[in-house]
Amino acid sequence: MEKRIGVYICHCGGNISDYVDVEKVRQSVENDDNIVLAKTTMFACSDANQNEMVEDIKNHKLDAVIVASCSPKLHLVTFRNVTERGDLNKYTYVHANIREQASWAHADNFPAATDKTIQLVKAAIAKSRTTKALEPTKIKAERSVAVIGAGVTGMKAAITLAEKDTHVFLIEKESQVGGWVAKWKDLFMTEETGDMIVKQLHEDLKKRQNVSILLNSEVIGNVGSIGNISLKIKQKEEEFDITVGSVLVATGFEPYKPKEDEFGFGKVPNVITLPEFKQLIDHEKGKLMYNGKKVENIAYIYCVGSRQPEGGNTYCSRYCCTATIHAAIEARKKFKDIQNYHFTRGVRSYGKQELLYAESLQGGDIFLQSYEDDLPTVFARNNRPVVRINDILTGGKELEVEADLVVLVTGMAPRSNDTVGSLFKLPRGRDRFFNEVHMKLRPVETVIDGITIAGACQGPKTILESVNSALAAATKSYSNISKGVLETDPQIATIDVKACTGCGDCIPECPFDAISMVEDKGKTVAVINNTLCKGCGMCTPVCPTDAIDLVAFSNVQIMGMIDALV
Amino acid sequence: MKTQNKNITYDALVIGAGIAGGEAALNLANTGFKVLLVEKDDSVGGKMILLSKVFPTLDCSACITTPKFSEIARHPNITLFTGSQVSNIKKHGENNFTATIHKKPRYVHVEDCTACQKCEQVCPVNVKDQYQYNLVGRKAAYIPFSICSPKAAVIDIDNCTLCGACERACPTNCIDFTMEEEVYDLQVKTIVLSTGFKLFDPLKMPRYGYGVYKNVVTSMQMERLIAPTRPFNNVLRPGDGKMPDKIAYVLCTGSRDVTVGNPICSQICCMYSIKQAQLLMGALPMADVTIYYLNIRSFGKGFEEFYEQAKGMGVNFVKGKIGKITEKENGSLILRYEDINSGKLKEAEHDLVVLSVGALPNNEAKGLFADNLQLDRFNFVDQVELMTSPAKTNIDGVFVAGTASAPMDIPDTILSAGSASSEAISYLMKENAPQPPKSGVKVGQFSGC
Repeated sequence: MEKRIGVYICHCGGNISDYVDVEKVRQSVENDDNIVLAKTTMFACSDANQNEMVEDIKNHKLDAVIVASCSPKLHLVTFRNVTERGDLNKYTYVHANIREQASWAHADNFPAATDKTIQLVKAAIAKSRTTKALEPTKIKAERSVAVIGAGVTGMKAAITLAEKDTHVFLIEKESQVGGWVAKWKDLFMTEETGDMIVKQLHEDLKKRQNVSILLNSEVIGNVGSIGNISLKIKQKEEEFDITVGSVLVATGFEPYKPKEDEFGFGKVPNVITLPEFKQLIDHEKGKLMYNGKKVENIAYIYCVGSRQPEGGNTYCSRYCCTATIHAAIEARKKFKDIQNYHFTRGVRSYGKQELLYAESLQGGDIFLQSYEDDLPTVFARNNRPVVRINDILTGGKELEVEADLVVLVTGMAPRSNDTVGSLFKLPRGRDRFFNEVHMKLRPVETVIDGITIAGACQGPKTILESVNSALAAATKSYSNISKGVLETDPQIATIDVKACTGCGDCIPECPFDAISMVEDKGKTVAVINNTLCKGCGMCTPVCPTDAIDLVAFSNVQIMGMIDALV
Repeated sequence: MKTQNKNITYDALVIGAGIAGGEAALNLANTGFKVLLVEKDDSVGGKMILLSKVFPTLDCSACITTPKFSEIARHPNITLFTGSQVSNIKKHGENNFTATIHKKPRYVHVEDCTACQKCEQVCPVNVKDQYQYNLVGRKAAYIPFSICSPKAAVIDIDNCTLCGACERACPTNCIDFTMEEEVYDLQVKTIVLSTGFKLFDPLKMPRYGYGVYKNVVTSMQMERLIAPTRPFNNVLRPGDGKMPDKIAYVLCTGSRDVTVGNPICSQICCMYSIKQAQLLMGALPMADVTIYYLNIRSFGKGFEEFYEQAKGMGVNFVKGKIGKITEKENGSLILRYEDINSGKLKEAEHDLVVLSVGALPNNEAKGLFADNLQLDRFNFVDQVELMTSPAKTNIDGVFVAGTASAPMDIPDTILSAGSASSEAISYLMKENAPQPPKSGVKVGQFSGC
């Protein structure tokens, strides 16, 4: 029977239609073979249009639909669900990405963007003609989660998962829980100290029978996929395996380490970093001493390792303005004769933290601000550090402060040890922190199914923000496994046993170790493990006899798409 | 005469169907709990659904909100009440709350309305359109906005003349002036409070001339002017419909300002202004955009890079606080400001001024409770365990999501909603509390409408 295909071309509220003539696209496909209807729509994803699609499927007896809109990362699932509501098999749905691949990519050339869109839609139609109904693979989900990293984020995630009747393996490479926060005393926005918070969370964890805290432990192997992930753990000299349904990564950050002579670090005396300064004021009593000398004048240089020009860490580390203002206030309250000088690039004490900035100003702290292309310099004079600045706030005057101590306000940097990232193949952003799928739609999920991320491994965050993300990620990990059974995409590789010569060339190509060799009717052939295979397609091109095909991306379909494109 | 109160029971009540409430409701529902999502407005979506594009990814806001709300509308575990007000929340014990819900009459049977807009065409009443932030008018019989949900007409009974034209024009006879307020007695086990924020009203700062000078608009009005569902299909200044060429942004309008009673930073205005500036550079390639700021606070993931991108596109950033705005005869505006870079008082002329208004607490949250809901010193909902359980309020079992507790941007709001729903799920699953239903099995009694 002839396929009856419906095509919807989305304006995306101007994101597409400002650059692409969507009506021309519609006209150029509406008379193609198998096309029963072709429409344009302001927002394909809107409720009204979704309902219209369901009606169209029924009224026009469609048996396949195509939406040409944004990236499938955003709305493939949305439209598969629409297809399903129209009583079609959801895997017959085909998505054409004409926003990221045409309108945004060719915003400088409208006619070409339109031509490319037409080709992309025609390719999608070619694919749609040969799509088949598929059934999702059902797998049993382990009701347990591995949380990697036992800082505040990981601890909180473990607690909330344990509350939800889930077994948690909390894996920490250090010998203690608590991460950086355990080392801190006074915190901003709260009366609690860092070590108190960690102690409270740790006590809570210890009471729970369904939490296994694995200290001195690292994950060194990872096999399987969402629902059934087998992790190899190395605990000191011992190695063992655990099986979990989902993994929550909370590996945190590293404080930025200044380079040699960056603002005098390591070269000019008495230049230290913010974490070092925190330790100093938390532990000194009575007088604030450094290198045997009393400290009175303190200069803070902001944005060290953050907001660097191209090539460095271009991002803002978010927590450090307020953390510094808070530390400076604490120093002034705790020790006598302290005068604070803040060399900022514009203070970012956002939200309620603004009150600390106001308190700091009222208490007599002095704020200076450098020009973006003229940052302050630090040099030694008479064995004492001096900070020189051209200060915006006094109309560009050159000012100098002779300090007893210079504090480099170092930001958050991603972990330099990438074991966990590479083990789970987690993508990183331009800032080298782990990247979520979508900041607003799926902010704690990664492109790897079943692996969530939380806390500062995803980007700089305060404690409160880290805890919010820990709880959000735990909810996602929990919802992955809570139903006990999971559906995964059936779009995987298949092997034509007759054509397979058992050469084994495909085995080293598989990044998921999903292919093995078996004896079949007296012949050695490759076989695919359906739960391990992710359908990436790495194996297909190496097969000398074309015995491997990808379901839903078959050679026939891809060739059909290429024919439509060229 | 009111109809008799109806009894209804759910696992969770989520108050406010903006992006925070929507996200929290979906999380709870996807875990198998029965959720009642109550919105006082006639459409879900809160403020986010009315935005143009959102920073720093420049996704169109509708592309993110509408599919979420479409999922909510269809979710078997979520019941949605729009045009409804929650009151009298009382806690009687763990997992035991009661509340009253007043569902005001829409005078339209939503299930029969096709949103054909025939009622709009015949309605003789013109009033200001609140969803377009008063930039244009609407009728008394109207569809709230093009991507509203539920997509159905509503009768603004306060402004309706009861002429009956809409009733006669309606092809499906869905308009019904005999509808009455419905009152529900609700029993639930947990509550998520996602009542959102209010925008600062710049009428409180007469020196900026808002409400007097026509070409001084708020940032929310500018959002509407550049949104895909915008009123004019172009960026026009309200005074005379001219396309502006010199646009000014006044940051910290109503934020970081003790003289208007709001000492804190609103956290979102720098970024949404930078976003609008980028969109304006696209929409009006010849226009100059200047942002007058105190400090640019581009602190989130990808925000600093977004700020640098705006500078690269040619947006002018001037460090200085606007003292006063005056109007010229041609409708253009003179901004008097302290230019901090030079230390001098200066004046600049612009033909459109956008006030980047701040985020204030929604004072209505406390009034929903018969019990005492604790607020912080700014009247945001107090977060009693700020560091370790940011969603907890002073009432165990009531959790706060999104901007009800503090100003925050959309990514932070969504994480906060994830946090609140996680706490609510844990609270529902506490020992001795009823266990969550197994998936696929429908539980929870719903009697009514």
